[in-house]
Amino acid sequence: MTPHSGRQGWFVRRVVHGISGWVTLLTYLFMLLPIVVLIAFAFNAGKSTVVWTGFSFKWFEKVVSNRNILDALQVSLIVALASAAVSTAIGSVAAVAITRRSFPGRDVLGAALAAPLVLPEIVLGVALLVFMSFAGMILGYTTLIIGHVLVSIPFATLIVRAAASSLDPRLENAAADLGANEWQTFRMVTLPQLMPAIFTAFILSATLSFDNLVMSTFTSGVGTTTLPLRIYSMLKLGITPEINALGALMVLANVTILLLVMGRYLPLMLKTNRR
Amino acid sequence: MSPSLEEPSRPKAVVELKGVEKRFAAFTALRRMDLTIREGEFFTLLGPSGCGKTTTLRLIAGFDLPSEGQILIAGQDVSNIPAHLRPVHTVFQNYALFPHMTVLDNVAFPLTVRRIGRAERLERARAALDLVQMGSFAARKPSQLSGGQQQRVALARALVNEPRVLLLDEPLGALDLKLRKEMQAELKAMQRRLGITFVFVTHDQEEALSMSDRIALMKSGEIVQLDTPTGLYDRPANAYVADFIGETNMIPARVISQEGDVTLVEAMGTRLRVSGNHGHVAGAEVQMAIRPERVSDDMRETENSAEGVLADVEFIGTDLRMVYRMTDGSRVVMRQQNSGRAVPQLGETRRLGFRQQDLRLFGR
Ligand SMILES: Nc1ncnc2c1ncn2[C@@H]1O[C@H](COP(=O)(O)OP(=O)(O)OP(=O)(O)O)[C@@H](O)[C@H]1O
Ligand SMILES: [Mg+2]
Repeated sequence: MTPHSGRQGWFVRRVVHGISGWVTLLTYLFMLLPIVVLIAFAFNAGKSTVVWTGFSFKWFEKVVSNRNILDALQVSLIVALASAAVSTAIGSVAAVAITRRSFPGRDVLGAALAAPLVLPEIVLGVALLVFMSFAGMILGYTTLIIGHVLVSIPFATLIVRAAASSLDPRLENAAADLGANEWQTFRMVTLPQLMPAIFTAFILSATLSFDNLVMSTFTSGVGTTTLPLRIYSMLKLGITPEINALGALMVLANVTILLLVMGRYLPLMLKTNRR
Repeated sequence: MSPSLEEPSRPKAVVELKGVEKRFAAFTALRRMDLTIREGEFFTLLGPSGCGKTTTLRLIAGFDLPSEGQILIAGQDVSNIPAHLRPVHTVFQNYALFPHMTVLDNVAFPLTVRRIGRAERLERARAALDLVQMGSFAARKPSQLSGGQQQRVALARALVNEPRVLLLDEPLGALDLKLRKEMQAELKAMQRRLGITFVFVTHDQEEALSMSDRIALMKSGEIVQLDTPTGLYDRPANAYVADFIGETNMIPARVISQEGDVTLVEAMGTRLRVSGNHGHVAGAEVQMAIRPERVSDDMRETENSAEGVLADVEFIGTDLRMVYRMTDGSRVVMRQQNSGRAVPQLGETRRLGFRQQDLRLFGR
């Protein structure tokens, strides 16, 4: 019997449930309220982000006709897709190797790929910048992408590793038994089962890159200002609802991607994990 | 050469284990195993959990390498042949169907990896599915099938490429009793029809007895007896075999003397004659074994008899299972066909007969 059984226990449970319900609600409010306010003022007619003067779409129009913002968006998209592709590719291969093979240095590889997770990003950024100028690299797309790969690769690896370690090794035995060589086994049995995780890793890596500010400050060059960097410099010139409108659009984009992932791949992942 | 001069055709060996040993670190899972499996036979590895059945199959399939010894398939040493190039297929206990493929793609898999053309591939996969009566489930995913249906698909997948040898690791273990019985009959019929060598693993002795041509009874990494089902049942090599296969009465006995081809023993508070010279010296403490269905209360053709009190009766439909307590305290189970006669009363004293050729002696 639990310590909280009986009449008294019933009361305690009610209180605990009640409190935890309220705590949850308050937490969500605390997290979401600023975003709700931000989005609301994106539709403000006036120039203020605190005083409501009327409804208007004009700040959205300003955003989509702002050359600087559109350029920054393009940079961010290119870097996000490229770095996510690299992270996911390296992360997936490493994850499969770590969970499926034993080779010398396996643990070291695993640790190295997870290391950026615990190092402060600013330290990574400084170190990378020093290294790159030492190597004579010109700051630009390449350096940005390398920096972002460094940030997202631990996440990509961890996601695919988790999926790979929950795969049934007997399925690979079965494939070999039925005549498949190692490559065929990987392509026809292992990879398809990892696909949902790989897709998730890609989306997460792209999102991390798209939102990244710290690493970008160190690794972006002339003409490769990312969207977060552009927003940050706009803030220095004074806040207008244009920033709110931009923020609202970014929230919309992120939520869309999230729903896409959840709707398409979550049920699939749950299903494969159940077996 | 005229046919009359040829050797009489003996079944060829298709799988041979020669002095095979398998160690995991300090633990020896298989101990110097010698085994010959003949072409086209239904061969069963039988034994309790952990005795090394799966280990043996994994060595034949090539998922593990023996620590010592040699494995030959169709006369060829397969030490250096990886699993995917061996002419054997496995039906795994958990079926191991690929969850992301349809039933048809699962069955076609062995053909796909051999780069067989799409049309032929699908045709053969469909034929294999029809063979196990799963033709109408081709488009489903494995998760949409019952356990028995998955089992059939796994069988079709392992058969589609017509392997020399089919390894089956407790393929019926997860099925309920009725389905299990059905599948036993179907598997056996299929094996006869296709003529493929089956190496079947089970820990169910009834299943082994009813399906196999030959059975290797294993115990902690060793083969205790390799024989036909009737051989194992009627001529168990030792007390372990007698006890594992079917139900056996094990009655403590003492050897009195050896008279030619008959051993005289004292058991159940009386003296009995046992056929055969078992090589025990006078005075030796032994176990006397007899099957419950060979104990009878019909005294006409028995040399031996002993008195017992009926302690328990169990009604099993076709049979009656009666437990007698003998005068020396030992228990004897008698099994009789349910012929419709009155069931004896509990506490009734009866005289039980033991034919001397049905009694066996084992050292203790
Ligand atoms: N990879 C391994 N490492 C260490 N020990 C192992 C390994 N595989 C099997 N064993 C041991 O070898 C013995 C035989 O195992 P095996 O799986 O062959 O048993 P089994 O006869 O198939 O049993 P069951 O009927 O339970 O399936 C067991 O004691 C098991 O613990
Ligand atoms: Mg086993």
